[in-house]
Amino acid sequence: MLLDAVNSIAKQNIGPERYYDRWLEHPTSSILHHDRECCDQARLWFLAYARSMEGWSSSQFRLNAPTWLSQHFNWGPSIWPISWCELVKEKTIDCGVFAALAREIFTAQGHDVHAGQCLLSYNDTCTNHWKQLWKTKMPKREDQRPGEVFHWVGDRVVYHEVCIIEMPGEEARIYDSTFGGWYEPLERVGFGALLSVRSECPRILKWGNKLLSCGEWVDL
Amino acid sequence: MSLKLESQMNKKIYICGMHSGQNPSAGVGIARSIRKAFPNLPIVGVDYWQGSSGLHDESVDEVLIFPQWKQIDRTRHLAQIRKILDDGNLWISALDVEVYWLAQNFGGHPNLLVPSGSALKMTAKPNVEAFTSLGFKVPENISAFLSDVEVHSFLRQIGWQCWLKGPYHDAKRISSWEVFEKARENMQKEWKTSHLFLQRHKIGNEESICFAAYHGELVSAVHMEKRLITPEGKTWAGHVTPVSPELLDGLKTVLRRLEWSGGGEIEYTRDPDGTKWIIECNPRFPAWIYGSALVGLNLPGRLVARALNLPIIETKSLYPFFTRVVQEVVAKEAIGIPMPPDPSLTPWPAGGQKGKAGPMQSSLIPPLRETMELRTLDSIDEEREAIAVRIPEHVPAPYSAEIDMVTESFDGETPTRIHLHSWTMSRFQELLDGIKPTKMFSPEIRIGYSIKTCPTTEHISKAQKSGFYMECISQLEIERALNSGAQPNQIILNGPGKFWPLTRPPVTGLHMLFADSIEELNRVLEIPNIAECIGIRICLPKLQSRFGVHVDEYEPFQELIASIKKIKGKAKLGLHFHMPSWIIGVNRWKDAFQSVLTWCEAIEQLTHVPIEHLDLGGGFYPTDLVGLNFRWIQEMVKMSLPRVDGIYFEPGRSLTQEGEIVVSRVLSVRRDTDKKVSEIVVDACVAELPLIQSYSHRIFFRPAANEGPTSEFRVLEKGAAKILGRVCMESDILSAGMKLPEDISIGDKIIFADAGAYERSMSYAFGRG
Repeated sequence: MLLDAVNSIAKQNIGPERYYDRWLEHPTSSILHHDRECCDQARLWFLAYARSMEGWSSSQFRLNAPTWLSQHFNWGPSIWPISWCELVKEKTIDCGVFAALAREIFTAQGHDVHAGQCLLSYNDTCTNHWKQLWKTKMPKREDQRPGEVFHWVGDRVVYHEVCIIEMPGEEARIYDSTFGGWYEPLERVGFGALLSVRSECPRILKWGNKLLSCGEWVDL
Repeated sequence: MSLKLESQMNKKIYICGMHSGQNPSAGVGIARSIRKAFPNLPIVGVDYWQGSSGLHDESVDEVLIFPQWKQIDRTRHLAQIRKILDDGNLWISALDVEVYWLAQNFGGHPNLLVPSGSALKMTAKPNVEAFTSLGFKVPENISAFLSDVEVHSFLRQIGWQCWLKGPYHDAKRISSWEVFEKARENMQKEWKTSHLFLQRHKIGNEESICFAAYHGELVSAVHMEKRLITPEGKTWAGHVTPVSPELLDGLKTVLRRLEWSGGGEIEYTRDPDGTKWIIECNPRFPAWIYGSALVGLNLPGRLVARALNLPIIETKSLYPFFTRVVQEVVAKEAIGIPMPPDPSLTPWPAGGQKGKAGPMQSSLIPPLRETMELRTLDSIDEEREAIAVRIPEHVPAPYSAEIDMVTESFDGETPTRIHLHSWTMSRFQELLDGIKPTKMFSPEIRIGYSIKTCPTTEHISKAQKSGFYMECISQLEIERALNSGAQPNQIILNGPGKFWPLTRPPVTGLHMLFADSIEELNRVLEIPNIAECIGIRICLPKLQSRFGVHVDEYEPFQELIASIKKIKGKAKLGLHFHMPSWIIGVNRWKDAFQSVLTWCEAIEQLTHVPIEHLDLGGGFYPTDLVGLNFRWIQEMVKMSLPRVDGIYFEPGRSLTQEGEIVVSRVLSVRRDTDKKVSEIVVDACVAELPLIQSYSHRIFFRPAANEGPTSEFRVLEKGAAKILGRVCMESDILSAGMKLPEDISIGDKIIFADAGAYERSMSYAFGRG
């Protein structure tokens, strides 16, 4: 549970985070479809492009992670909500868009994939930079209202979105679509450590010695 | 401390291979590990070079520097090492080549911690036979000195993703035929052996099992997952874990059978499906071994403890990861630092290498391998010689027979190109036979003969008789096809310059036309009755090409969709994809084909215009096209694009490349100091064979006189003699190495096969006055 995560964070001498409650309740990101040709076209282009980017040497494997995503897009702020016809023109997207795109790709490959959320620990040097990055690089939109930006970055803890893939034997694998790597179910403290994870898979999945049940924050 | 223990603590540990550079030897890691376990055990750092930087490490108590290998008296060297061992000291080698040399010269000395010769043989690359029982698989591999045709075929099949590897270490990434030929030549020179092999690259994460054994008894083993890797492929950080009990049991059995002594490392790749692909087995500890000792699994320490019967205490790290750190240390005066090289030894770095123009590392470090005698290699080379004399399978008997027949009585001027009629006809027939079983299924497989590849009347006529369409890339080629009896509705028009020359009106009523750009597509749509089917060529993301619409950006794709919508009612819609499989490899081509289908589905959904013709282009190597599973292609297309009526292939190379030879005569024979043939000059050159370095050619020999010891016509095997062309151009090298008859003489014929297709159509007159 998140409170446990808070406790474990406290153990590491990390102060209380004021956005915990918002992270706890934050829904996972999904891409808006305008239900018109603009988004049909963008989505089909993206899926065809993704198929081409798989590469023949990787496509032979059961699980072919879209590692190319992190080379195609920069990581940075996105304006939410974001639609298919908007995002294909973007060069920079946030972890929510990364995760939503990766889910589309895994699904097209025939996998059962679900949204996942994480809390990660970092130092305040990093988080201050990221706060500044979001402040300065956030694209401006005319209809954007103050307070619309989601505060994903705390002082020593950050919110992150990932993909949870169902594997045979009710096992889970957790893919960080933003940086193109797989999380390990290892308990660790310190820089970049995974503190807590929440799955949206409707089934209970095993991940290392942890059980991920739908909607529940599970501490490492 | 007991007397026995004290006596053992006086034994010295000799560790050879102490250089700690970009490609470090394991000596420093071994020394630090032993020092960690036994702070007072004397450690002697050994190397064959004063510049070996690890000799300065604080873990080393004494230093033993030998002269460079070529300056060493072998008998004296053997005697010195034997005395060291007989005095009860231990010797651990971190140099691959020295390990082999020690194994050959010492056998199983109890204090020599290196594996035996038979163990080395069982763990030699590429098949590493000893460990197959542990669940490791071996990536596909072949000798780099099989015939060029076989090597080329292997490389095509695996998509040109391959490593050329040496007998101990050293590996070069191979991505094309040119790269391969150069790398093979360089590596052969460097290692002085033909025991090189090509191994398929396997994607996956790199891992290692490192072990230590004492005369067949497993002392300890550790698993390491590489986390950070240098550009040279060296471990920079890793995750160390114990080996699973099952693997440990298997390893015990294998090492007992091998009577292994010393350290060892199984390097492998774990692919995304979990399959473990063995890369190699190193007969020594790896350079990262101190990382393992730091997290509490000290293999060198345990090995020494076992060999000297010493107790060992270890503490485990809670976070079992290690990383490497570059560190400066004060140099030891007693060892000294070598003088800088003369500035003339600092060449301008070739191949765009990074860094300041410092001396090449190889000019500084004396290579041990250059002169260290190794019987193992000699025997392998003998084995190779035995293989070389076998009749190669890469020359089908009818092919060889026809070349024999057409050149037997040939006495005309050379170089000259001769057409192989029967073989060419058989290529057409083989393709017809190949697609025959598809006739009862849909979509229909259709062939368009690529005129540009070989525009001879004979080929065009045969193509027409075979019922093929004519694939043209200009108005002149259309004219050629029409003059040969083709109708406009049998013509497929492709390419970026299809309306050249502009001075004549374009031929209309064509069967298909594929635009090379959106601009051209929009123009073509304005030409009444230009073709029954109008389409576009697309260039897939990741495939480098100057042709077609690049759909890797969204905006061009949007424009493409808008333009394709305009085709509705004017013509049928086609789509063209062309990426030569001989360049990207057959399997990669198949993957690209499947990717094309995804794009086609998207286009159909967005335009509501069905794709009715799918052109998959040409560029197939002769043996690859007929090897395609046409039924699978039909099924795939039918499933994705049910409205497709015809699937087109546009062979040119595959039908005509083998069907011509270039006959040349020997102009000069050059011999080395041993009087062996080292080079010949022939009267053919790159003008007649412009693509000689781009793909493999079979080369035949026929003596001028049909009598004497070399009278027989034969295909030449790989060897050391170069075949040079007649013109004064550095690049005019027709073969980097063939085995030529020792009595070859001026006037004998060298016949270059596989000289049709683009070798003909792109040849030019040069140096003829």
